[in-house]
Amino acid sequence: MRGATLARWTVLALILAIVFVPMYWIVATSFKTGRQILLSESVYVPRPFTIDNYVYLFEESRFALWIRNSAVTALASTVLSLAIGTAGAYSLTRLSFPGRRTFGAIVLITYLVPPGLMFIPLYRTFIGLGYTNSLGTLILAYPTFLVPFVTWLLMGFFRSIPRELEEAALVDGATRLQAMVRVVLPLAAPGLLAAGLFCFTLSWNEFLYALIFIADDSLKTLPVGLSEFVVSDFAFWGQLMAAAALASLPVIVVYIYLHKYMVQGLTAGAVKG
Amino acid sequence: MNVLTDRRRERLLGYALIAPVAIFLGALVAYPFLSAIYLSLTEKTVGYPAHFVGLRNYEALLESGRFRIVAWNSAAFTVGSIAVKLVVGMAMALALHNVVRGNQFVRGILLLPWVIPTVVIALTWKWLMDLFRGLINVALIDVGAVTGGVHWLGDPTLAMASVITANVWRGFPFFGVSFLAAMQTVPQELYDAAAVDGAGSWEKFWRITLPSIKGVVAVVTLLSTIVTLNDFNIVYIMTRGGPGAATHIFATYSYELGIMSQRWGLSMAASMASLPLVALLIVAVVRYLHREEE
Repeated sequence: MRGATLARWTVLALILAIVFVPMYWIVATSFKTGRQILLSESVYVPRPFTIDNYVYLFEESRFALWIRNSAVTALASTVLSLAIGTAGAYSLTRLSFPGRRTFGAIVLITYLVPPGLMFIPLYRTFIGLGYTNSLGTLILAYPTFLVPFVTWLLMGFFRSIPRELEEAALVDGATRLQAMVRVVLPLAAPGLLAAGLFCFTLSWNEFLYALIFIADDSLKTLPVGLSEFVVSDFAFWGQLMAAAALASLPVIVVYIYLHKYMVQGLTAGAVKG
Repeated sequence: MNVLTDRRRERLLGYALIAPVAIFLGALVAYPFLSAIYLSLTEKTVGYPAHFVGLRNYEALLESGRFRIVAWNSAAFTVGSIAVKLVVGMAMALALHNVVRGNQFVRGILLLPWVIPTVVIALTWKWLMDLFRGLINVALIDVGAVTGGVHWLGDPTLAMASVITANVWRGFPFFGVSFLAAMQTVPQELYDAAAVDGAGSWEKFWRITLPSIKGVVAVVTLLSTIVTLNDFNIVYIMTRGGPGAATHIFATYSYELGIMSQRWGLSMAASMASLPLVALLIVAVVRYLHREEE
């Protein structure tokens, strides 16, 4: 038994170290001076440390603009996806009509189609529509994976709400739509919030579509902006890691709240890796 | 009469509420997808209309040495990533299973790589693996393990292992937490009964734990395979598919053909190249998830 316990703690310590070191490297680098990085001085702990990299981001780079673009895109595509997906999920779980199961299967299938396979076809479609190089392009593109995701996630939430509550409202003379808006949606509020935060995170982190669909420098989102730091030079690692830390901050905050839903969602197969 | 209209109303509302989903996914998933299949059968040169060429793009791909390398790399990237994620994820789940104190907290920390943007992860690993100043080489030289920096991303034989490492780092927590959640639903009585029979930890794992969670293992593996096979971000940022074509995979290759060279027909064919396999995997996931629903 003792051997097993020792093995357990060794594995755990090792895995924690593996996860911790790269994150520490981001933070440590972000507080180093250009000289420290260039000459590999005080590699493990930046001494003295500096906040110049953070100052640089806001005063001399387009960082604030990238944040704005990312925030606008993520918020708009989240709202759009929630609106479309909530209605769809309600329809697929609570109303019976011919073809319902087929729609359900289609939603799941589209959810599973990877962006790495879709980006060229989708790009061609946007070119055909004459609608590329705008934040609106991304606001329309992100729901292609967010809508199936929201629908699938909320179907699980709606199923967990007892039908009797809704039927009671119907008996009291409410219409189906009123029952949905006044009874089901308030009860599903935690689910809606979780779905919304997931959408925000997925949009905030998205890179491939943003890289391909946007050409204009002033419309770039945060991940694309970050990726272009690297072309410049190695000497920019300090600023880049400061930007990486700040870009991760919002999703980490969201995640602290989402954690319990995430674990539930994982087991339900609603969240994919 | 009243019942009938009620049912009709419900049906109409059902269609009305699913319509936005159907229209949206039809216009921006189904249509692009179907037109991509059509375009993969055409050749388009700038200034001329596209003309139908049948399967010529696919033939050209299969005959090209570069595509064969790409297909091979994609397989290596996927199989390598998934295999390591399975092992590390399982180790993580077993290490955390039945740990009461601090479990939530540790699990919370361990999931962080899966939450932060992939671009951040790819850039961080690129920096960790930097030839002269990256932490890995500096630390290895400090402890005397090597005398000069290792070319993690510049050496064709190491580069694939390096991008797999970054991908595993991002993905294993998802495996671990999923396995852990599944393990926690296995009834303790099974383990007690096995203990009475004198089974050791290893035997318990193979005879009880693994068979009980195999559904979750299958779904997680399938989902991850679909995504990994079509990964773009990590390879694009860390190596751009290089050195040479040593880490070039399906999505970076479609990017090269479509975005860099504007060879649309060929790039559509390359995009669709992994489709038969992806379709099979999707069917498998859908069947698994439906079975668990019932």
